Amino acid sequence: MSDNMVYLEEVSKKFGENYAVHKINLDIKEGEFLTLLGPSGCGKTTTLRMIAGFEKPDEGNIWIDGKQVEKIEPYNREVNTVFQSYSLFPHMTVAENVAFGLKMKKIPKSEIDEQVHRALDLVQLRAFSDRKPKKLSGGQQQRVAIARAIVNNPRVLLLDEPLGALDLKLRKQMQLELKQLQQELGMTFIYVTHDQEEALTMSDRIVVMNQGQIEQMGLPDEIYERPKTKFVADFIGETNFFEGTVKGGEGSNLYMSIGEQKVSIHNHSNIESGEDIYLSIRPERIHITQEPGNKSQDYLKVKIQDKIYIGSVTKIVASFSDGQKITAHSPYDKTLHLQEGDNLYIYWNPENAVIFPVHEKEKIEA
Amino acid sequence: MRPRTRKILLIYSVLVFMFFYIPLVVLMAFSFNDSKLGTVWTGFTFEWYVKLFNNSQIIEATVNSLIVAVITTIISTVLGVLGALVLHRYIFPGRKAISFIFYIPVVIPEIVLAVALLSLYGAMNIQLGLLTIVPGHVVFATSFVILVLLARLAGMDNALEEAAKDLGANEWHTFWKVTFPLLFPGILAGALMAFTISLDEFVVAFFTTGPGSNTLPVLVYSMVRRGVSPEINALSTILILLIIFFVSIVGWRMMRADRKGGEV
Ligand SMILES: Nc1ncnc2c1ncn2[C@@H]1O[C@H](COP(=O)(O)OP(=O)(O)O)[C@@H](O)[C@H]1O
Ligand SMILES: [Mg+2]
Repeated sequence: MSDNMVYLEEVSKKFGENYAVHKINLDIKEGEFLTLLGPSGCGKTTTLRMIAGFEKPDEGNIWIDGKQVEKIEPYNREVNTVFQSYSLFPHMTVAENVAFGLKMKKIPKSEIDEQVHRALDLVQLRAFSDRKPKKLSGGQQQRVAIARAIVNNPRVLLLDEPLGALDLKLRKQMQLELKQLQQELGMTFIYVTHDQEEALTMSDRIVVMNQGQIEQMGLPDEIYERPKTKFVADFIGETNFFEGTVKGGEGSNLYMSIGEQKVSIHNHSNIESGEDIYLSIRPERIHITQEPGNKSQDYLKVKIQDKIYIGSVTKIVASFSDGQKITAHSPYDKTLHLQEGDNLYIYWNPENAVIFPVHEKEKIEA
Repeated sequence: MRPRTRKILLIYSVLVFMFFYIPLVVLMAFSFNDSKLGTVWTGFTFEWYVKLFNNSQIIEATVNSLIVAVITTIISTVLGVLGALVLHRYIFPGRKAISFIFYIPVVIPEIVLAVALLSLYGAMNIQLGLLTIVPGHVVFATSFVILVLLARLAGMDNALEEAAKDLGANEWHTFWKVTFPLLFPGILAGALMAFTISLDEFVVAFFTTGPGSNTLPVLVYSMVRRGVSPEINALSTILILLIIFFVSIVGWRMMRADRKGGEV
């Protein structure tokens, strides 16, 4: 099936009457780090379990490395999984856990020992070979789970929220280590997370899922900068939404209104005059000033409601005359003199705003 | 805790403890009593132990009991393990009802089962003998084994079996390398329970055994009808010590296993 490492074609899975996964198409290239991203319950785990073989799709086909696999048992598939809860065998030592897959393949003992050592070195746990998993910290158990999977040199490694149980600092560190490991091994990774920041940091490509369907597939910056649906814009990062009707056109520029003020709309999004739309603008794309000078035409006038220091930037919450709110992120020094109740002029490059039709489902194909 | 409360609790525990163990201690002491009547202490002797080991009736009944208990343990452990695995793993219509059926023998009076078996054997024209005790014991013991194992299985992470399969283990290897080792403490506890249930079961054994093949409890019953003989005291002492020995070994191994993280 072409040159994809994993290929899902119109795959669906029902539990009772409900679709957990509905007609998804997915292709994953060899050596790629692909992330399934979406809110809890959107079908990420189910998708992964169908690739691993623990769930049988109700419809559709799955190929792994060119072989159709729906009828192949999990133990005959050339994929390995790092489970969400680690699932290390409590009655075996760390080394025995890691050796398990190789033993099942009937590899000679001396070779097993060597490979187990190498895998444990890779995750820096060689010194813990003879411990039981219960005697390790969460981060160490996580590493054992990874070593236990990669030692088998699978065609594809499946990871289901592997860092979910770790604290923030350790999680950040493990994100980098995992990404590095994946690049060193050149292994295909399918990674599941509900943490958008994690997905953006680690992935070559991101698949955003919602309610069992794929909302968008693309490079991290595409997903962030050019979300195709309101759901994606909302789920990834922080953004401001405004609802309105497109006006203008026929030679003149398109615009919409927020409060009583006009906002230019860039012409890239197949939007026509008269259409109902959402406009999405990221807080960090908004410029602020108290002195609009002669460009006041392009600026929107708002009133500052709140100024919140969040470290890297300062968050300004402001309101339009009709009460709609907008959040902007600005460098700390630009906001020093601002105070609650002050008037403020804001501006953004229309190219940085993203437009969605209100009835977006009909437009997804476009 | 206030000192007063603590004192009351302490006295209470001591009383309960005495209530449990004084009869046993008295019995063990009197097994070394020189007097035949056994109500007053007259001197120390091993006479009853010597007599016990020369009493062919008692030896024979002990052997009978052990035969029945071993067969019961083997059958009910195998049936119990399989039953518990099926009940735990497969979702099928009527699963709840079937689980319930396995609980019934735990609460049903033994006499009911004994009479039921007796009339069944009668209807089927089966000659009563030592082995006709076994089915009754298996019914009780299997239920207990299933109860113990279902509890163990409920505490086990299903994902462990999936992890094994993910790493290339087929059903057979998954069972023997992962499921069985994790279940083993439960199997051991269940088997021990089955063994002791069978060993000291009286009612079913009394009703369903054939003439001449007494188990120990049945023999003891017939002997004490003629008054408690110090031989019985000696026998009970040996049984108590054996049970304490086995239970401590199992308990100790389980404790160690827990500390080591699931290994047995
Ligand atoms: N074994 C199951 N039985 C019934 N429903 C399930 C089962 N597994 C998952 N689901 C349902 O399928 C949907 C998708 O679940 P899942 O794939 O686990 O989502 P995610 O991993 O994205 O959180 C959820 O609504 C969940 O309740
Ligand atoms: Mg999940």
